Amino acid sequence: MKYASDWQRPKVGWTCTYIPVEILEAASVIPVRIVPEPWAEKADAFLDPNFCPYVRACLGKALDGGYDELSGIIVANSCDAMRRLHDAWRYYCPRGFHFLLDVPRIVTQDAVEYLRAGLDDLFSSLQSHFGLDIGEEDLRQAVGELNRTRSLLGILLSWRRQGRVELSYADFLFILDKQWELPRQGYNYALERVIEAGPKAPTARANKPRVFITGSILDGRALIDLIEDLGATVAGVDSCMAERIVPQVDLGEDILGNLARSYLNKIPCARMKDSKKRAEYIIGKIRETGAEGLIYVGLKFCDPYLYEWPYLMEEMRVRRLPVLFLEGEYRGRMGGGIRTRVQAFLEMLGARKLVTEGATE
Amino acid sequence: MTKMSQERGIFSRLLSWTVRSPWTYRVLLPLIEAANLKEQTYAFKIWVRYLLWMMRQGCSRKRKVIWMSAFTPVELAYAMDAVPILPEIVAALVSYLGRAPTFLALGDSHLSTDVCSFYRCALGLVLEDLLPPPDVIVSCSYLCDGANKFFSYLSKKYGCPHLLLDPAYGNGQGAVAYVRGQLHHLLEDMGSVLGQRVNLERLREVVRLSNKARTNAERVNKARMARPAPFPGSEGLSYVAGMGFCSPGSAWGVRFFESLAVDLNNRTKVKHGYLPQERHRILWLHHIRPYYRNDIFEFLSSRGVAVCFEEANYLYYPPLDPDNPLDSLVKKVLSNVWRGPLERRIQAVLAMVRDYKADAVIHFSHWGCRQSCGGAAVIGEVLKQRGIPYMVLYGDGADPDNNFPGQTRTRLQAFAEMLG
Repeated sequence: MKYASDWQRPKVGWTCTYIPVEILEAASVIPVRIVPEPWAEKADAFLDPNFCPYVRACLGKALDGGYDELSGIIVANSCDAMRRLHDAWRYYCPRGFHFLLDVPRIVTQDAVEYLRAGLDDLFSSLQSHFGLDIGEEDLRQAVGELNRTRSLLGILLSWRRQGRVELSYADFLFILDKQWELPRQGYNYALERVIEAGPKAPTARANKPRVFITGSILDGRALIDLIEDLGATVAGVDSCMAERIVPQVDLGEDILGNLARSYLNKIPCARMKDSKKRAEYIIGKIRETGAEGLIYVGLKFCDPYLYEWPYLMEEMRVRRLPVLFLEGEYRGRMGGGIRTRVQAFLEMLGARKLVTEGATE
Repeated sequence: MTKMSQERGIFSRLLSWTVRSPWTYRVLLPLIEAANLKEQTYAFKIWVRYLLWMMRQGCSRKRKVIWMSAFTPVELAYAMDAVPILPEIVAALVSYLGRAPTFLALGDSHLSTDVCSFYRCALGLVLEDLLPPPDVIVSCSYLCDGANKFFSYLSKKYGCPHLLLDPAYGNGQGAVAYVRGQLHHLLEDMGSVLGQRVNLERLREVVRLSNKARTNAERVNKARMARPAPFPGSEGLSYVAGMGFCSPGSAWGVRFFESLAVDLNNRTKVKHGYLPQERHRILWLHHIRPYYRNDIFEFLSSRGVAVCFEEANYLYYPPLDPDNPLDSLVKKVLSNVWRGPLERRIQAVLAMVRDYKADAVIHFSHWGCRQSCGGAAVIGEVLKQRGIPYMVLYGDGADPDNNFPGQTRTRLQAFAEMLG
């Protein structure tokens, strides 16, 4: 099995899970997810110091040549910071293929058609820039492979929740990230072998506090590791780095339209209009996974999540569900302050559990 | 009384009752008129009357109240015979009156201090129940993320629908159809929520009025190209920009810009500049300035530096056609230069520098405004390549706690010295 990085195919970076990676895989370019290490300081002079540290890290790394291996970059119009990243990247690192995918914030038939036109444009632009000749069948095949990935990851997640496989959330994220290092078919093959081994009988949940996490982009596994090290269980993570996965894409006619529909209807990011839908989804997931509390990670200067926070906080409060707001700084590690707050939150959840169980008895 | 007001103390409720009583504005009008007797610019008086009308109408509930974000076409509200209330504009006014800190403190209990102070202040006003409640909220996803999510939260607070206009980023394939379809559905949804049918004749009339105001705004902008600068940028950034956001489509807008156009043309005829001696001309970038008490403009004036124009009043859209009102609004939305790739804004800045004969440019980087501040560095590079002096002035439009007068003064001093 060859690793993707050994291939001679052009590499194209992508920034947001609203970008259908299938299109890149159909074009036989290697999709490289742009998740840099903390690298923010250099970009302060080129963007603005009051910018999301993830976006500044992207530009900082690009300015330092960290993305010189890429033949291009695709940015989605996810938020104001991403728009400006696209502008700054094009200005300061103009080499290669640049594309901004305009993703609607509403989910209507008009929005699906508009996104479809955008995907068509992306598809044509890739072909034109890289001198490719890819047809709908190539795209359909790529979608089929990614559908398989989604299905397999879904099984793994489901087994984890049922206690039928011993898998920490950090390990699940490790598995998830591997899909960007391996050829798609190879990755699916590896997942199939894991799943073939079969689940064990469901086990009772350990008597540990269970938390659900939501929020902006996570900077690696530091928070997950911290929670698990503190003896709690991560019941689930609603994040573009984790479970905010696109549902199965219909392989029928008009594959681009089906992609547009599926991506627009996926579990929404806070940048989408419908805060109510997101709140209902998160609360539903908390109940489904048996989580006892929510950790909301708002990356510093991340407007969609900072503006959404009061909405979700009130929904949680009305339902008497504990929630902890953490301000992320995209440093790749958890500072002492965050550790203390998470520890206190988990202790509180543990104490609540004892009180509830005592009351039940 | 809304649920919010039930949770507050007696003084707070009394204040809310007073501010939300239409009689307050009937009483205030003659008092303010008397105080403004010496005001030279008649257009300013129209602005004040408009504000009082807006609050009186909103509080009396004789008209439906539509809350809108800046850059949402207010013509939509006037087409429904409703009164538009723009919380950001109200927040700017509150800051101007020196009352923002109280409401910022309230807003900060819900929102991070890393986000825009206009939204934080507006939230404080909402929590104190000081604004006429909306029947519907209509916002636009440009220019910023806040215009989407903040208004979504407000709709939850008031229990009213939130309708979002989500314009395309580009002007490419499908953009026109996408925006047109949205505007069409928006009008229908507004009609449905407000319990009234969309009146096409009314929409045409509104677009006609908006176009008339636009024609006069064009005259204003042309007059401001004169040397010496006849009109201070500080005022352009306050009530002129305010009317530019709130009034298109109303008779108020027509009267305001007509009055200002006549006034400025009279000044340019006699070469009347607002500074006794104009040594340099500055173009101000961003749609806002600090509205609380500050001495930025006073300092610049003392150095003979005239803020001759500001991008807040750049007329980015073509004349509107009342016979095709919806298409005209689509063109207005898609012509916005602060939407889409930064190149559009840059082209507009270069045009303004040329037309207003600006010697230098100041970009006011308002804390929490990613959409504008994110482009400041690239704009600076482009201007530098053309030998145009440029400065980024960090600050905050509504929160005086984010203002550092000493630092600001030092930077402005250095900039003015550099200009010579």
